[in-house]
Amino acid sequence: MAELLKEQEETQKWGMVIDMDICSGCQACVTACSMENNVPFVGEDEMAYGRGLQWMRIRRYWEGEYPEVTPTHQPMLCQQCGSAPCEPVCPTFASVHSQEEQINVQVYNRCIGTRYCANNCPFSARVFNWFDYETPAPMNSYLNPDVSVRRRGIMEKCTFCVQRIVHGRQQAAAEGREVEDGDIVPACAQACPTDAIVFGDLSDPESKVSKMSRSDRAFKELEELGTQPKVIYLKGGKSYGG
Amino acid sequence: MSNKISRRDFLKISGIGVTAAAVLTGCGPASRYVVRQSYVDMPEYNQTGKSTYYATTCQECPAGCGLIVRTQEGRAIKVEGNPNHPVNQGKVCSRGLTSVQGLYNPDRIGGPLQRTRGDRSSQPLTWEEAVSTVQNGLSNPEKTAFLLGLMPDHLFDLVTEFSETTGAAAPVRYSALGTLEGRATLLAASKKMYGTDQFPYFDLSAADVVFNFGADYLETWLSPLAYSRGYRKMRKQEFGKRGYIVAFGARQSLTASNADEWIPVTPGSEGLVALAIGQITARLKGQTIPALFAGVNLQAAADAAGISLQKLQQLGQLFANAENSLAIPGGAALTTSVGYETAQAVLGLNILADNLGKPGGVFLAPGTTSTASMEAVKTLIQRCLDGEVDTLFIHGCNPIFELPDKLGFEKALEKVKTIISFAPFEDETALVSDFVFPDHTGLESFGYQRLLAGTDRSTYSSIQPVVQPVHNTKSTVDVLLAAAAAIPALSANLNYTDEVDFIQQKISSLIQAGGFFTASEMPTFWSKWLQFGGWWKNAANFGTPRDATKLDLELNMNTPQKVTEGEEFHLVTFSTQMGDGRGANRPWLQETPDPQTTVTWNSWIEMHPATAEHLGIMDDDIVEITPIGGTNTIEAIVYLYPAIRPDTVAIPFGQGHTALGRWAEGRGVNPAKLWSETTNQAGELTISDTLVTITPTGRRRPLARQESRVGVYGDGEH
Amino acid sequence: MKPNVPWWQRGSIRISIVLVLLILVGGAGVGIYYTQAPPEQPIPFPHNFHVGIGAECMYCHTGAATGPSAGLPTTNKCWGCHQQLEPRNENLKLVASFAENEESIPWVPVALQPDFVKFNHQPHITAGVSCETCHGDVASMTVAEPQPRHNMGWCLDCHQKMSTPEDFVRLSDCATCHY
Repeated sequence: MAELLKEQEETQKWGMVIDMDICSGCQACVTACSMENNVPFVGEDEMAYGRGLQWMRIRRYWEGEYPEVTPTHQPMLCQQCGSAPCEPVCPTFASVHSQEEQINVQVYNRCIGTRYCANNCPFSARVFNWFDYETPAPMNSYLNPDVSVRRRGIMEKCTFCVQRIVHGRQQAAAEGREVEDGDIVPACAQACPTDAIVFGDLSDPESKVSKMSRSDRAFKELEELGTQPKVIYLKGGKSYGG
Repeated sequence: MSNKISRRDFLKISGIGVTAAAVLTGCGPASRYVVRQSYVDMPEYNQTGKSTYYATTCQECPAGCGLIVRTQEGRAIKVEGNPNHPVNQGKVCSRGLTSVQGLYNPDRIGGPLQRTRGDRSSQPLTWEEAVSTVQNGLSNPEKTAFLLGLMPDHLFDLVTEFSETTGAAAPVRYSALGTLEGRATLLAASKKMYGTDQFPYFDLSAADVVFNFGADYLETWLSPLAYSRGYRKMRKQEFGKRGYIVAFGARQSLTASNADEWIPVTPGSEGLVALAIGQITARLKGQTIPALFAGVNLQAAADAAGISLQKLQQLGQLFANAENSLAIPGGAALTTSVGYETAQAVLGLNILADNLGKPGGVFLAPGTTSTASMEAVKTLIQRCLDGEVDTLFIHGCNPIFELPDKLGFEKALEKVKTIISFAPFEDETALVSDFVFPDHTGLESFGYQRLLAGTDRSTYSSIQPVVQPVHNTKSTVDVLLAAAAAIPALSANLNYTDEVDFIQQKISSLIQAGGFFTASEMPTFWSKWLQFGGWWKNAANFGTPRDATKLDLELNMNTPQKVTEGEEFHLVTFSTQMGDGRGANRPWLQETPDPQTTVTWNSWIEMHPATAEHLGIMDDDIVEITPIGGTNTIEAIVYLYPAIRPDTVAIPFGQGHTALGRWAEGRGVNPAKLWSETTNQAGELTISDTLVTITPTGRRRPLARQESRVGVYGDGEH
Repeated sequence: MKPNVPWWQRGSIRISIVLVLLILVGGAGVGIYYTQAPPEQPIPFPHNFHVGIGAECMYCHTGAATGPSAGLPTTNKCWGCHQQLEPRNENLKLVASFAENEESIPWVPVALQPDFVKFNHQPHITAGVSCETCHGDVASMTVAEPQPRHNMGWCLDCHQKMSTPEDFVRLSDCATCHY
């Protein structure tokens, strides 16, 4: 048992906590993610077909009946499952688990676009490049040189801003120190106006994200599937003093 | 500088032989035939492959958030928040994030143009010709007029100085965003109730109970990032205390949906509700009821608002019993004919709650401001019609799009001899101008912005170019100064060599003003000013509002307009991430879904499902909207929105452009076409008084929404 | 009467198959040749000479130790030395003309990775990898030549040899280079 716990502890790494009590649903994270990760815009028709390429989306559920009706906003992104359903179905090993970062990575140059992974994802967190989407010049000038520009036929998804993780690690190594809590911030958490998104190292019990993940409001989306998501939601509440 | 080329482009150019090789060798070194330019002389702040960060100020709305822009090899890559900036403290909203899409927009104007009004063709000019054109206009100050946006920036200061020295009319300012926020009304009411020309700052962070009358402070209102931070703190107070928010409004906005309770009141009845709550509160506190609240009949107020008296009593108790209660007026509640009175009533609640200058109460944001009211716009239109304006300068404002058609601005422009637009994009107003002398976009220009709302300390936010100008554009301040330099009467008074000199002279007083940094002389101060992204005080220096009225004024609050049930509807116009409409040409703002409806790339009309059923309208039907007493009609696609009063419909503002480039044009509708030109006591357009009728057209067009339509309303696809 | 020959023994089919194979192999050969041949440079820069007189790699490729990209020398860096020399030949005159016109020299980078490979010089230099390990013996080249087999197997091979098994987990992780 102790060994098992130890192993589990070892395999924990990057995680995210989203506090739905203070998430206002403003969509700043969605735009920030898209601008950071060279996500192409697809236009009205493609959006209407459900082919939008946002790596992150805000799920909005109406609850109650008028006039007590109110929506819940839940940011949904790749949950970076520890036991990910997308990985075993990829025939080309393009969807693989990163042993070092303990996230799911999508290797674009391996992907041949079978879309098995997206069909197997219980969170609908993966999006597919149905076409080559143009970013007309000079607008391509803002493309982030740290992130590959994907082409048609490639599956993509949230990477936990792995370019920032690698950069943070290399930066810390160059300065001869360990990566500290808060060094690495993905674009969504950086932009979030209410600081509802917190990112960090779950292996470190003292990190902010670990502490928050132990909250009694914490839950994981579709936890019963046993995919071991690395994104932890804190339940929102609308009770006074709660 | 690098010439980025994707693997795909490479494959296209290099032909089949190399493709085969690339495949056989497991992807060969693809981009090696790309010529990467080396520098002639690499700037010392630059290193190939590493990013350089610049602090500047967001120019997308008047909030003035501090930005840190990541640049690499001379390109602006990503906008991030400035963690030290007092307004946004490192955070940034969707609009700010997409400002690079404005900078690199392919539909920008490449240089100065002369054009025929209403015609898409244009002839290029040189900047010398442009300056002499401006000079012709400025040399006759009595016959010039300036129409500017809401930014309290260095351009506004320069134009104000120009009008003061020459006796020309003061610059007129307008933005539809200001109207949607109820800015003029809030300021006028604040002056009346608190005795000063400053924006009140509502300290959410320590409030127990917040009564929000229409302010969309999590979306666009005044300073959304500052208020979002306040909202977070309010939810996470010490000892697990979590503030309680009640939102009043006919339509549930994103802000209202984050409240704990949403009270759907009839548009225009917010003031009566506020007065009733005041009366109940005063009674529960055992005070004599102040004159302000004494006159209201509780039952009548409840009836007018469409809520029960019991609910009203309950709300009054909630407000009265909380330790720190706070009331916020804004948005649709203020843009009615009783908006000014409503704002006073709500601000009066704060006096009653005794929260002025206390944590969780009302403060005054540092920095006085002059109200930008519709009266000034109307005066300008009259001047144009009377032929008193020879040259009209328009900057940072798109009046043809943002003003109600009924005002007749477009007609008035026909009487103006020369219209000069400084728009960086070909917007609706640039199309009817004689000249377009494009200004830089925010990320290419120098400047400063005085912050008037959303900051707890006196703040000047600095603007600096993060990249070289992409096109042959020129700063408007430089154009004006160059033109003024050639006019002897002006050059004596406006003694500035260029834009940077003007800014430096204006901020020189800050050196001694006790900010968080200082320097012995301007060059050092200037470099720190640019580095930190501005200048602000070390500690909060909020003003404390005075109770200027003692609550003894009496308000004459009319009951809201009645609508014939099922035939006439209140029209609520709400602001979205498009702001005053300038955001519509940013593809990522178009594609970022609206938070409540998840609709992208279009506008819609929100209608309660029961109302739609009564009218026989389905989701995605196109309906014709006709204002009562008006002739303009618009067509919009119906979105069945469960959180809106059945007697109300709502349309977002910002779409419906007939110009502004490939992503904005011909998309959605512009509700300004329906607005009436009447104003309230504070000189604000009474856009929320608009009543409309709805006629189905029998046509349908699916909205591009992110949500699944199946199951949203408890059954299959509508 | 039809000759009773199976299709694979027909001359025309056999010739076609051989031709297709020849085209494929030839095409691949040409392709490989092109990827491995040094591209044409604006000035046939003699690396051997510059290294020979003792110039350090990082004198010109300054970014290698501190950043992802080693970088190309600026025109003014070339001119810093060359303004003291008489332009004896056409190439030196070219340098002079670039400097006088304040133009950048359009060098063609040789050791480039495709878009989906993120390479950072800094950790490699810090780990003590010498420039020659990847870029070959530049002292014996005039223009820089692409090195054969600059591919993933080669990267991983070196990563494995130079690291402990624990470190190799990180150094063989997809996310280390591909994102």
